[in-house]
Amino acid sequence: MALTGIQIFKMTPKKNCKECGSPTCMAFSMKVAQGAADISACPHMSEEALATLADATAPPMKTIKIGAGDAEYTLGGETVLYRHEKTFVSRPRYAVAICSCMDDATIDAKLEGLKKVDYERIGERMYVELIYVNYSAEDGQDKYLDIVKKAAATGRTLVLECTDEAVAKAALDICKDSKPVLNGATAANAEAMNAVATEAGVVLGVSGADLNEIYDTIAKLEGLGNKNLVVDVTGADVKTTFANAVQLRRAAIKDGDRTCGYPSIVKVAKLAKDDKYLQEALAALFTMKYGSIIVLQDMDYDQALPLYGLRQNVFTDPQKPMTVEPGIYPINGGDENSLCLTTVDFALTYFVVSGELERSGVPCNLLISDAGGMSVLTAWAAGKLSSGTIAKFIEEQVKDKVSCRKLVIPGKVAVLKGDLEAKLPDWEIIVAPNEATQLVKFMKEMA
Amino acid sequence: MPFNQKPQKFSAKINTVTIGTGDKAISLGGESVLPFYTFDGDIENAPKVGVEITDNGIDDSLPGIKAFYDGCASVADMAKKASQMEGADFVVLTLVGGDPNGDNKSVEDLVAIVKEVVAAVDCPLVVKGCSNVEKDAALLPKVAEACQGTNALIMSAKEENYKAVGASVGLAYDLNMGAESAVDINLAKQLNVISTQLGVKADRIAMDVGTAAVGYGYEYVVSAMDRIRGAALSQDDATLQMPIITPVANDSWNVKEAVASEEDFPEWGPREERGIGMEIMTAASDLVSGSNAVILRHPQSVATIAKMVKELV
Amino acid sequence: MLLFDTVFNGNDAVYKLTEDAVNSAIAQHGEDKAVGFPDTAYGLPCYNAVTGTKIKTLKDIKDAMGVVKSLMTRERRINDAFMSGVATALCAEFIEALKYIDGATPYAEPCYGHLADAIIRELGVPLVTGDIPGVAVILGSAPTAQEGADLVKSYQEQGILVTLVGGIIDQVAEVGMKTGANVRVIPLGKDVTSVIHVVSVALRAALIFGNIKPGDAANLMKYTFERVPAFVNAFKPLDDVIVACGAGAIALGFPVVTNDMDYANGVKVPKSLIRLEDVSKFNAASLEARDIKIKITHIDIPVSYASAFEGEIIRRGDMQVEFDGSRVDCFELVQTKEAAEIEDHKIELIGPDIDEFEVGSKHNIGFVVEVGGKKMQTDFESVIERKFHTYINGGEGIMHTGQRDMIRIRISKDAFNAGFRAKHLGEILYAKVKNDYEAVVDRCQVKIYTNPEDCKELRHGLVFNVFEKRDERLLSLTDESVDVYYSCILCQAFSPSHVCVVTPERLGLCGAVSWLDAKATNELEPEGACQIITKEGVIDEKLGAYESVNTAVKKYSMGALEKVTLYSIMEDPMTSCGCFECICGIEPMSNGVAIANREYAGATPLGMTFSEMASMTGGGVQTPGFMGHGKHFISSKKFMAAEGGLERIVWMPKELKDFVAERLNATAKEMYGIDNFTDMIGDETIAEDPETLFTFLQEKNHPALSMDPLM
Repeated sequence: MALTGIQIFKMTPKKNCKECGSPTCMAFSMKVAQGAADISACPHMSEEALATLADATAPPMKTIKIGAGDAEYTLGGETVLYRHEKTFVSRPRYAVAICSCMDDATIDAKLEGLKKVDYERIGERMYVELIYVNYSAEDGQDKYLDIVKKAAATGRTLVLECTDEAVAKAALDICKDSKPVLNGATAANAEAMNAVATEAGVVLGVSGADLNEIYDTIAKLEGLGNKNLVVDVTGADVKTTFANAVQLRRAAIKDGDRTCGYPSIVKVAKLAKDDKYLQEALAALFTMKYGSIIVLQDMDYDQALPLYGLRQNVFTDPQKPMTVEPGIYPINGGDENSLCLTTVDFALTYFVVSGELERSGVPCNLLISDAGGMSVLTAWAAGKLSSGTIAKFIEEQVKDKVSCRKLVIPGKVAVLKGDLEAKLPDWEIIVAPNEATQLVKFMKEMA
Repeated sequence: MPFNQKPQKFSAKINTVTIGTGDKAISLGGESVLPFYTFDGDIENAPKVGVEITDNGIDDSLPGIKAFYDGCASVADMAKKASQMEGADFVVLTLVGGDPNGDNKSVEDLVAIVKEVVAAVDCPLVVKGCSNVEKDAALLPKVAEACQGTNALIMSAKEENYKAVGASVGLAYDLNMGAESAVDINLAKQLNVISTQLGVKADRIAMDVGTAAVGYGYEYVVSAMDRIRGAALSQDDATLQMPIITPVANDSWNVKEAVASEEDFPEWGPREERGIGMEIMTAASDLVSGSNAVILRHPQSVATIAKMVKELV
Repeated sequence: MLLFDTVFNGNDAVYKLTEDAVNSAIAQHGEDKAVGFPDTAYGLPCYNAVTGTKIKTLKDIKDAMGVVKSLMTRERRINDAFMSGVATALCAEFIEALKYIDGATPYAEPCYGHLADAIIRELGVPLVTGDIPGVAVILGSAPTAQEGADLVKSYQEQGILVTLVGGIIDQVAEVGMKTGANVRVIPLGKDVTSVIHVVSVALRAALIFGNIKPGDAANLMKYTFERVPAFVNAFKPLDDVIVACGAGAIALGFPVVTNDMDYANGVKVPKSLIRLEDVSKFNAASLEARDIKIKITHIDIPVSYASAFEGEIIRRGDMQVEFDGSRVDCFELVQTKEAAEIEDHKIELIGPDIDEFEVGSKHNIGFVVEVGGKKMQTDFESVIERKFHTYINGGEGIMHTGQRDMIRIRISKDAFNAGFRAKHLGEILYAKVKNDYEAVVDRCQVKIYTNPEDCKELRHGLVFNVFEKRDERLLSLTDESVDVYYSCILCQAFSPSHVCVVTPERLGLCGAVSWLDAKATNELEPEGACQIITKEGVIDEKLGAYESVNTAVKKYSMGALEKVTLYSIMEDPMTSCGCFECICGIEPMSNGVAIANREYAGATPLGMTFSEMASMTGGGVQTPGFMGHGKHFISSKKFMAAEGGLERIVWMPKELKDFVAERLNATAKEMYGIDNFTDMIGDETIAEDPETLFTFLQEKNHPALSMDPLM
């Protein structure tokens, strides 16, 4: 049972020494209870308290870090099975797979291709974070080391799949500083691989014939003192893989079985068997349910646009709505003479409104002011969207940039019209319909 | 020590709603496990895939769709063709042209199309309204009359017009009713409660709890469906045990990623492929969140999702 | 003669008539001759519905006559009369069925006779939705053709389906009125037995729309009573047969209004048999007797009405006239009255109208909106009254600000020129109140006063009196003084497992839902966001722990929460959504709590900002030691009552402190005898860290320092 902040507070020295980085012991305790801080950050805890707390406050699922520097990513650390219960904390990372069995041209094309997808969406950079490098014994160690070098040169974090410890060691010698994952431990080689991974200081991936074998291997590795693991849950088919991913996560979080509490690797590329569309479906499926590293054949915009959008949505904190940057957003080629419409910075509102405006085909400017990321009515009720905030935004950031003096306000805050007319005397204030779906008709009538 | 498997089968179960008649009839729901959790228990009826066509005919801006329906001279022809699509379990006719803010086609014209479609296909039929509540209140009772005896599912009953739709669909003509709410467990529940109070039988209701395209506030969809399924199964809440049917096509094909032209965004590549991606990923996510059926538009999406379902169940 | 005897006689007469007709039909066609109505799957629908038996042949009718006979008991009890009425109706159906033998078409334009199943399916939908708010059955001849036609028209205009039997059919034809199913006026037939065709509609509706099994007479009656809003208007002279049919109607729950003042005088069947000389009053009397409410779809004013006009401001120069409560006596008031005291939709202007005022001038105005209804409660008055602002603002060219007696209304020149006058304010209020509060308001009338003397007298008398009573009621509303609390899940869209328990002394933590609001919401929308929570199974009174509260919280959080207490922030505190106005959290050093409001962006002595506290407390998760709440809750006697109450407050931002000072100090004085309690409470100008705060509290000798340890 998780401890509350108050229970943790009672065990702190209550000195408010700030050495943990929090201004008070209470603030620190609340953070620990949330999993946002580690109890070991407090230098003044008694041994006894630490022992009690470490066990009780350790999250059911390990937080595993892979990569280095800018390319460092956090996996796992989840505390719930459904986002509405609290929030998901670590989004899955996508990898493009290459293999030493491929010819050079294919490999080069893939490495080049994955760079093409790199864009920003609501403040988040969307790109292929990882490269999954498969070892093919037939093609030998040299070829493998070659492609590891090539892949490492891209600066992306690598996941090496290799069950041959000598080859793995050689590969790690090339790239261990960038903290790749070594997906190579099996029931047969666990001890040897453990030594390789530990020596190189990298995360070790565990795979097995079924969940029982995987479980045993994890237990063995934990017995050897290695808890820096990820689990390759990919089975023979989609059904088995999904069952593995869900059951492992559920055992960790619902049943508190810490041996199951590691991030996962799902090799969608292998399951989709060259069916690009099935790969799309499965990438979404495992983004929703419990993939941590999702391995794909390729990444292109067809796949990236929906997939990264999905990930961004599912991995937002339910209590912190996504927001768009305040500013002027021209739509359908809107220029300084085009009609101005305003709404809030809540990302969902922005998308719905801008989508309808785009559908109308009428050039216009969408003005987004800071409304604390709330929807129109909520922002209005909370005072984050008022005639004052809109007028201030127009005065400071809009009026010098556009010459049109017509401003459309959301129908739900029609009540602001009069005040706005008073505050922005040279603007004509127009009330839009209540629902975004009525905007297309409205815009066509305005045009 | 082996992995300690703890199957989580619930004592509650999702209602089974049957659509259509004869050999091709399909059943939605019936399971007492979470979506695709076959390791917890059997899934009686695999999720189903429907093909959407509209009264506006063929969308010839998409080559794949244009090619598929090539040669169809009427909506009825399209329906027939759609019913033979690989992976399709049922056909959905959306009467989008009825919208007073759009083409504003008359009730009579639309009902005539429905009648032709009813006569043309022998697979289960789903009819969706034009999304304007007043128009649907006038239109759907007439649609229900035209569908008498087909055991069709008539969707688009909303809180504002559920009485007109429910009374005709559920009571007068004994068809299945699709209760539509906007991504909120309490709204979905309330609509089910008042619909059953009206007299519509619980096992004749499928819920359309709404969706969004992935990337467009999809987190609300996930949470709404997770909670609805949670309440139905773990809380045994009978007012939320209706199967869920989710129209994916419209949301997917209307977002920027699926609308923007290749000229405007050359690096994005062909529009059709982007739309398919949007449709497939939204459908896959809806299914794993709790939808018992999805409604899609593109033949490629239909085939793919059907394949995924087959792999999982 | 007693009504019983009339019914029995009428029934006997009809029975005899039917018996003869059946016998002669058998003589003519033989027993095996098929009988039935065209285009129905229900055989003889009335007989089938009541008994569950489908009649196919004349022999079946003969057998059925025996069943009918068994209904005709002759005790002088109300049930016997009803059953005889039903028996009469069934006989009428047999007589009508005989007319259709051999595919005959006994009815010709404009009469319909039997109505097909398809028509019922079609009419049934608007009946269920309320688009057809009622079904009138008009029987006999009105005193004059014009009076008859006017009555029919009055129903038609309300969307009511009108069926006609007997002389009224010729009367409406005489004045040139169109009839037919498409205009919802359906002449059935000229024989009184043709009335069975509308009964057949009602009963088939029950079978089709109510899922009633044929033969389930008890549920059949229940359905027609509850769901088929039919009523009968029978013109004089009545005879025994009509009265017997009328008993059948009443048995199905359909009231009868007649202008035959002599018939069976002295018998009272309240709300079911109404004698009324004046035919022009039949409409109102029938609707009220059958509890039919007509939806108002159009507000009868000369300017547009829409929520888009809500924010319109009317400047001095554009203004025709102004009413200003800050200068002269003005007020608005909702008052509950007995229904009998209210004439629905009466709008009365007492004093001069707007056109008698000079352009740009300032005047008095007062509205009293009198409402009545079976479910109306005085507690709803202020809830309705608060909506006036929104209601009046919806008119184009009309501006309203303020509430109670501090209102200001401006009417623009454009609105005036379009014909807007004082009574139109009444029209707006009438229409909106009737529509929005349909569940509780059956009748509504509006009085508008514009004489300065009237306004002054009423304001200082009636109005202040009512306001005072309301304020007293609010003060007397305590958690102990009421029987029920309410759940509120309005914000579950954002915060899925959160449930507010709203009590008189603890409003919703968003600050927007008071106990009275929740009560009204529950009454208006019984399936909505606010549900009743009873106070049963006390677990701990001090903590405010009740079994019934726990059960409710578990149910409405879909099992996410097991239990909450009403008054503790340490033990199972109430959860918070995300919309809270304030959060309080324990400040351990001073043994008290610090409060931060949403607007305050700075640091608190807890070492956390509002948003840091919010991220830990929100989302419907129980966080002992922390709690979200409304601003007004700070001065409540129930504020963390289990931990000693508001004496524990040691810190809050200055702005918030100023906002709550008056009420907080008053409660502190009353509860603990502390003067100017807020002077003892720290704020950001005094301390943002616990040590400085502690020193300050020591100087002030803050009571929290010497209270029992919080933990």
